[in-house]
Amino acid sequence: MAGRTDPAPRGPRAALAARWRRWWLARLPRTDTLTLTQRNIYILPTGAGWGLALTLLVLLVASINYQLNLGYLLTFLLAGSVAASVHLSHGTLRGLSLHLLAPEPQFLGAATVLQVQLHNRRRSPRHAVALAVQGSGQWAVADVPAGGSAALQVAFSPARRGLQDVPVLTAQTLFPLGTFRVWTLWRPAAQVLVYPRPETPAPPLPPGQPQTGGGASASARGMGEFEGVRAYQRGDPMKLVVWKKAARALATGSDDLVSRDTHQSQRHELWLDAAATGLADPEARASRLASWVLQADRLGLDYGLRVPGHDIRPAQGAAHRRRCLEALALC
Amino acid sequence: MSARAAQLPRETRDTLFLLLVVACCLAPLAAHLPLWGVAMAGAMLGWRAWLAWRGRPLPGRWVTAVLLAAAVALTAATHRTVLGYEAGVTLITLLLALKTLELRARRDAMVVFFLGFFTLLANFFFSQSLPTAAAMLLALLGLLTALVNAHLPVGRPPLAASMRIAARMALLGAPVMVALFLLFPRLAPLWGVPADSASGRSGLSGQMSVGSVAELALDDSVAFRVRFAPPGGQAPPQSRLYFRGPVLSAFDGRDWYALPQAEDRGLVPWARPTPPELRVQGEPLAYELTLESTRRPWLLTLDAVRERPEMPEGYGAAMTPELQWQASRAPSSVLRYRAQSYLDFSHGPLAETRALDTYRQLPQGYDPRTHALAQQMLQQAGGSPEALMQAALARLRTGGYRYTLEPGMYGTHTADEFWFERKEGFCEHIASAFVILLRSAGVPARIVTGYQGGQVNSVDGYWTVRQSDAHAWAEVWLQGRGWVRVDPTGSVAPDRIGLPLRLQAPRTGFGNAMGLVISPTALQRLRAVWEAVDNRWNQWVLNYTQGRQMNLLKRLGVHSPSWQDLVQLLGLLTALAAAAGAAWAAWQRQRQDPWQRLLGTARQRLARAGLPLPAHLPPRGMAEAARAHFGEEAAAPAARWLLHVEQARYASQPRRALAQLQRELRRLDWPRRP
Repeated sequence: MAGRTDPAPRGPRAALAARWRRWWLARLPRTDTLTLTQRNIYILPTGAGWGLALTLLVLLVASINYQLNLGYLLTFLLAGSVAASVHLSHGTLRGLSLHLLAPEPQFLGAATVLQVQLHNRRRSPRHAVALAVQGSGQWAVADVPAGGSAALQVAFSPARRGLQDVPVLTAQTLFPLGTFRVWTLWRPAAQVLVYPRPETPAPPLPPGQPQTGGGASASARGMGEFEGVRAYQRGDPMKLVVWKKAARALATGSDDLVSRDTHQSQRHELWLDAAATGLADPEARASRLASWVLQADRLGLDYGLRVPGHDIRPAQGAAHRRRCLEALALC
Repeated sequence: MSARAAQLPRETRDTLFLLLVVACCLAPLAAHLPLWGVAMAGAMLGWRAWLAWRGRPLPGRWVTAVLLAAAVALTAATHRTVLGYEAGVTLITLLLALKTLELRARRDAMVVFFLGFFTLLANFFFSQSLPTAAAMLLALLGLLTALVNAHLPVGRPPLAASMRIAARMALLGAPVMVALFLLFPRLAPLWGVPADSASGRSGLSGQMSVGSVAELALDDSVAFRVRFAPPGGQAPPQSRLYFRGPVLSAFDGRDWYALPQAEDRGLVPWARPTPPELRVQGEPLAYELTLESTRRPWLLTLDAVRERPEMPEGYGAAMTPELQWQASRAPSSVLRYRAQSYLDFSHGPLAETRALDTYRQLPQGYDPRTHALAQQMLQQAGGSPEALMQAALARLRTGGYRYTLEPGMYGTHTADEFWFERKEGFCEHIASAFVILLRSAGVPARIVTGYQGGQVNSVDGYWTVRQSDAHAWAEVWLQGRGWVRVDPTGSVAPDRIGLPLRLQAPRTGFGNAMGLVISPTALQRLRAVWEAVDNRWNQWVLNYTQGRQMNLLKRLGVHSPSWQDLVQLLGLLTALAAAAGAAWAAWQRQRQDPWQRLLGTARQRLARAGLPLPAHLPPRGMAEAARAHFGEEAAAPAARWLLHVEQARYASQPRRALAQLQRELRRLDWPRRP
């Protein structure tokens, strides 16, 4: 769960409450499309609702004591309006469909945005429908037009990498008087993939490795034929730098310089290897590798990835990048 | 200005609207607040509006704290308490105005709303008339609109939309209101209505100050309404319509008091009023009287009532020794009762008693010339009190005395001034001078206040008696006859008694303006209609008492109704409403698309057999999943049916196959748990 992480239960009461919440959540079926009915909408008075109840009581007592028939009328009309407001409030959520769009994978540390579509098949609008990750208290509010739909976005920050469940969402409304909170709990079925957090600042890409099976011995970086580009490395002569690309890189804000590569691409392959990171902690490794993957991708290099359980051949492009990051997320 | 108003930021617009609503809640209270309270509340609201308009920041906490302290201190200084409802009303008004100055979060807005509801109720302490009710209904709708508006956080919703929602809520709530109003048991006051503090009311006051009133303001509001039985029954002539109120028997030279109060003041320590000793003749005249709120225990009755008036539940009534009827407690609202009056009556002791000396008392040192006049007139009358009385009336008729509503201020010797110098005044001056003259000659006399006359409403046949019909007359004790009613005002201004004087429209700017375009008769007609409506309001809403609740139950067939029956009936209605709600909910569930329901059943059956399927899977997908899970053979019937569903659903006439499919579904051989 995001935002407020569950505090460790203290005392038997908190434990009981936690158990109750778990039991309750376990009852909820996982679904990406939730249609709200009487069965899954809950309603309880808010603090303001109790305040209004107290007000009504005082009005009633005053009416009795001063024998004010108009006071009775006022009190009862107010009570009737509040009763009607419960109906309106409940009706705001009842019959509403919530649909969660499949969430995009995200890097750890960045907020994952959940896109939810609200569909209203009724011929009247639904006002002030709010949505939040349960417990976060960060409500996104929208009015759903009559017979139309609205989109809401809520964000959460996953706590770890890997494939994980979307947190429990809450939809609620305080409309129209703020005296009752009508809400529902929703356990979406969708899962979100969380890539490792890219290390910043990351060390430069590792040097290429001799191509397996390539017989040619590695000669010094000569000034031979121009054959490709690679990431700038310390010691590269200035004239090898591809200044056109450098200008573009500077314009976009990254300081990655690119050098002309002469023969290397044929002889050397860029392998991003977990073992080559020199780090023991698997999280730190994944983090560095993710950073390298992004760097290599930005530079337009061919790169391969070697992590326990995965051996991805060097290639490039968005699909390749995605494949690598998924492997890093799940390793 | 209006263009600017349409483009105001939402926050500003909402604040200004709420301030307007608050001002509407408070405006009717202004007449009942101390002047500084009105000024302070107005200034605070104006200040807040200016801040909102200019987009300035709100004042700091210490400013509101200082203002609060000032408000409480001034209230305490004005009312000498901060408890009790007059001080309470002042305080709540100021609190409401003050709270708008720290209207930041939604919680503050809520407090403003709650205080707003209290001020609505506070208005009813002073008036429960139909116009007040209408104004407060509007204010309530305004409060609800502002509340709804506060809970529409998205964009800049038009106020009209919030207003529609508020009106809809009120409309939906109206049946609840009616049911509760009719059936909620009417309880007795929990801790007693505070004794009257509504001073300055027009009409009767229980005390009569002769010299200090320079001009009598005619108050055209209704004092009470009378319906003679049988409905529309014959009323006695106007000249006999004397409605008895407080009897004023003690005089301190300037003011007249009723006796018990005089006792409290130590004026007449040994005085005990003479007993009523009522003797009646002829048939009684039955009527029903609806008294507007007086907050005094007086019951006005047509002279003279022998049997206890039929009072609403919770009220007692008793006759004072001076023939006045009093309720056991002051009604805070409209009070209706039935009474029977004997127009032919006499009362009081027939022979001289010691108690009659009370009515000969006069303070020392006042009105020396009247005293001399009385002695002289008594001599001329040969010592006969009755002849003296006639002579005094003759003097009023022929001595150049004039009836006027603007007599100017009187000095110390009010009777002297009246008899010898000014020779003008209204009923109070005339009656007071008359009684002082008789007492100076040793004849027991007293002043009776009440109402004289009335006007029949051509629309509903009710008689209306107004505050401007308030009157004061005299009663003189004569040997062998008891107390005799004498109306000296009649001698000065015969028109005042027995003739409907008040045919003019209310003397307001509006009335005058109306008079220019509408003929006086049409105006009178309009007024009659309005008063009939107002009377209905009184009869049906304000006078809905425990007694009428019980009548309602009787009409519903309960033999000996009690408040438990009311509660039971309320419970029954609640249960019925709940059952209706449940039925509606069930119907809503049934209203699902029949195809969806068909597939839903199939999904349930498959899930029970151990194959949960997502809701979005089409029938073909379900069939495939079933085949894969249960095996070709076991799943065959179900799969066939599912494909049939798919086929029928997209056929040109899908409805046709529906019944057939539903029938098949019931007989279908579902796969079992493998």
